[in-house]
Amino acid sequence: MPQPQPQPQGDKAPASDLPRSDAPHSPATAASRAARPSSAADRADAAANASAASAADRAVGIRFEGLSKRFGEQPVLRDISLDIEPGEIFVLMGPSGSGKSVLLKHVVGLEAPSAGRVLVAGRDAADPATRRAVHMALVFQAGALFNSLSVYDNLALYLREHRLGTEAQIREKVMRALQILSLESAARKSPAELSGGMRKRVAIARALVMEPQLLLYDEPTSELDPVMSATISEIIATLKTHYRVTSVVVSHDRDLALGIADRVGILMGGELITTTTPAELRRSTDPRITDFLNPRIDLSAPRFKKLEPNQPS
Amino acid sequence: MNPFTAILDGLGSTLVLLFNALREIRTLPRQFGRFAEQCYLIGYTTLPIVAVLSFFIGGVLALQSGYSMSNFGTKEFIGSLVGLSMTRELGPVMVAILLAGRVGSAISAELASMKVYQEVDALVTMNIPPERILVLPRLAAVLVMMPIITLIGIIVGWFGGALVCEYVGFISLAPEKYFETLRRYTDFRDMWSGLLKAEIFGFVIVLVSCSIGLRTRGGPREIGASVTKAVVTSLILILVLDYFVTKALI
Amino acid sequence: MNTAQHSARVGLLFLLGLALIWVTHEALDSKSSLSKTGYPLVAGFQNLKSLKQGDDIRMAGVRIGSVETTQLAGHRVEAILRIDKKVTIPSDARATITSSGLLGTNYVSISLGTPSRAPLAPGGEIVTYESADLGTVMTQLSELGEKLEDTLGSIGSVFQGRGGEPSLFDRLNHLLSENSSKIDTVMSNLEDITNKVNQGQGTLGKLVNDPKVYDELLATLTQIKAAASQASGFVGDAQELVAHVKSGQGTLGTLLYDQKTSDDLKAITANFAQVSEKLAKGEGTLGKLIQDDSLYTDAQATLQKADRALGSMSDSGPISAVGAVANALF
Repeated sequence: MPQPQPQPQGDKAPASDLPRSDAPHSPATAASRAARPSSAADRADAAANASAASAADRAVGIRFEGLSKRFGEQPVLRDISLDIEPGEIFVLMGPSGSGKSVLLKHVVGLEAPSAGRVLVAGRDAADPATRRAVHMALVFQAGALFNSLSVYDNLALYLREHRLGTEAQIREKVMRALQILSLESAARKSPAELSGGMRKRVAIARALVMEPQLLLYDEPTSELDPVMSATISEIIATLKTHYRVTSVVVSHDRDLALGIADRVGILMGGELITTTTPAELRRSTDPRITDFLNPRIDLSAPRFKKLEPNQPS
Repeated sequence: MNPFTAILDGLGSTLVLLFNALREIRTLPRQFGRFAEQCYLIGYTTLPIVAVLSFFIGGVLALQSGYSMSNFGTKEFIGSLVGLSMTRELGPVMVAILLAGRVGSAISAELASMKVYQEVDALVTMNIPPERILVLPRLAAVLVMMPIITLIGIIVGWFGGALVCEYVGFISLAPEKYFETLRRYTDFRDMWSGLLKAEIFGFVIVLVSCSIGLRTRGGPREIGASVTKAVVTSLILILVLDYFVTKALI
Repeated sequence: MNTAQHSARVGLLFLLGLALIWVTHEALDSKSSLSKTGYPLVAGFQNLKSLKQGDDIRMAGVRIGSVETTQLAGHRVEAILRIDKKVTIPSDARATITSSGLLGTNYVSISLGTPSRAPLAPGGEIVTYESADLGTVMTQLSELGEKLEDTLGSIGSVFQGRGGEPSLFDRLNHLLSENSSKIDTVMSNLEDITNKVNQGQGTLGKLVNDPKVYDELLATLTQIKAAASQASGFVGDAQELVAHVKSGQGTLGTLLYDQKTSDDLKAITANFAQVSEKLAKGEGTLGKLIQDDSLYTDAQATLQKADRALGSMSDSGPISAVGAVANALF
């Protein structure tokens, strides 16, 4: 079981300084899907045991019904219909600018559909009341940590604002979430002091504190080195297993999609061109998909020369 | 969007923002920490510059009026002129302009960057209305702090005028005479009207800056644009409101 | 910097603000403290001018209270004065509305009165009088100006003549030119005579100037006496001499008995007498100027009024001419 390799961003410290002895190791609950279970994932197992049972039956499904979205005259999403089952990891892939993040924002109600609708656990996602009824957490691409607050306060904000327990209970929950992601030492730091990978983990920890029924990740592995990306993938898979949350991951990270996804959707030009399993995806013969998954760098016929100005990409 | 609908859009979303902030008012007591923090930023840190500016405004007022009035043999009325104009007009307006430049810009920059870096979206997904923790404490803080810094500004301005009257050669008006006419012509009602004005200005500056900051869309470049827009809008609103508030208070 | 320090500073600032509000309230509205402790007096006026609630009440310049309210009461206006309870106001003290400066607000000025008189009871009415305010002063000033203009106009018309009548100068001129030859003659004659007398010319001159002549005359007379006493024949001679003098012969005779000269002198004397008589009677403009005292009293009255007006102005506070003009502009 390899440790995360030394990393250039300075993420090494919290990851490798782990006192392995104080984490009760329980192989029985080890993440089956995680290709390379890391120490962080182990810790997630340990910490998740307590709340796993209660969260098990809370997972919610998402249904997109003919969702279309345009910004002004520019169509971004075209007639998307999709069901995401409770408790699965759905990875939404697609090239940059294909509308993946916009789709995700519809789920949490940050965007309202131009046409069609999005249902979360049978409720309209655009209705603010849905956010009160269903615990949803979105891990933003850049983390979206509150820069004016320390890491600890970032995590505690949700609990404090919703008055979920006393300060001691809040502290316990926050520290547990930090522990799961091996971030205890960063608790007092300000988000500006963190490296990109740590920031993403803090963002995940912050989502975890909310005890979500639905976890949405927006590009969780972008801008990270391959090892850190793998670590994040492992975390996502582990959390899904032990919290039984429905996870929707927007990414163009092929390894992540093929490694942890239950199902993969591919979005191109605002259209959902396929929904399939990773195994089928590997066998796909659709040239758009094969080219997207295994782009060949061909200097004799560069792609950017083929791009048409009008083509929504 | 043409300018007219843009203005209407801004007005409408600002009012919605105010309404949403007021709906959260019951959460204010447990936001005392944020409220105190904003009080510190809006009141305490603005105080030195308010004092310096007001001191010189009072001094210049005394200098100008002394220069004109000593020709008419009415220089003992400098006190009443400085006192009344600082209290009713220049104190509140100057403090408001400073507040727009210092606090309005800071608020719009902070909220715009929170918006651009999706911190506001994060709050929404956490089911925490941004109005509650970003707008309401600021509004409450400015309402508490604005009268205090304006009052200090006004009084410092009075003393600036007194100092100029005493030490500038062609005026040389004793401070007792200066303050005698000042007291005779300046009522506490004038003070109330000045402080009420300042309160209105401060509230509008913070509300407008919050609204513009939270309406920022796009990338980091838009943060700068939002700050400029917030400050300019605040300044315009101060001067336009000043006319109508003055008219209503007279 | 932690939050606790922030809160502490904000709290300090808040307390400072409250303290400042209280201090400025006390400093600017010291009037308000009186309203609870003082006693009221009623002052009725014909016109409150711009007296308003909160204005000062001063007794001989010292602030003793403030105007509580002003109200219309039937055919007059009333100001309810709130007087410091430590101050007693004699019943003969009088109140008036005065302006505390050219641009200033008004205040109620109460005279000291006689200390021995019974003090006014709370709620009592104080005697008032209307005093010249700035408006009145300005009216008086303009009346004064009109009068001065009238006076100057009449003086001018005296010099210039009015309605065809010859003016004073014309008359004087006329008088002198008409009689100039006579006056010239009289003057030259007189000069001539006095010169001659002075130089001892003529009998009288000699008589006056030459002691020898006198002695001779005396001797002559003695001789005549002697002769008379000696020879009566000389009497005839002496009588003849006297007859000569009587008949106007000789210098003295001519002087005393020449009809023309005497007539001239008589005429001049008569002229002078006539002029002086006319002047004395007040005839003619110059005479009037000298004799008629109504003009003088007019002028004096005008000046007195001016003096009064200026006096009342200086009573109402410091004033400068520029200030008055400035006020008229405002």
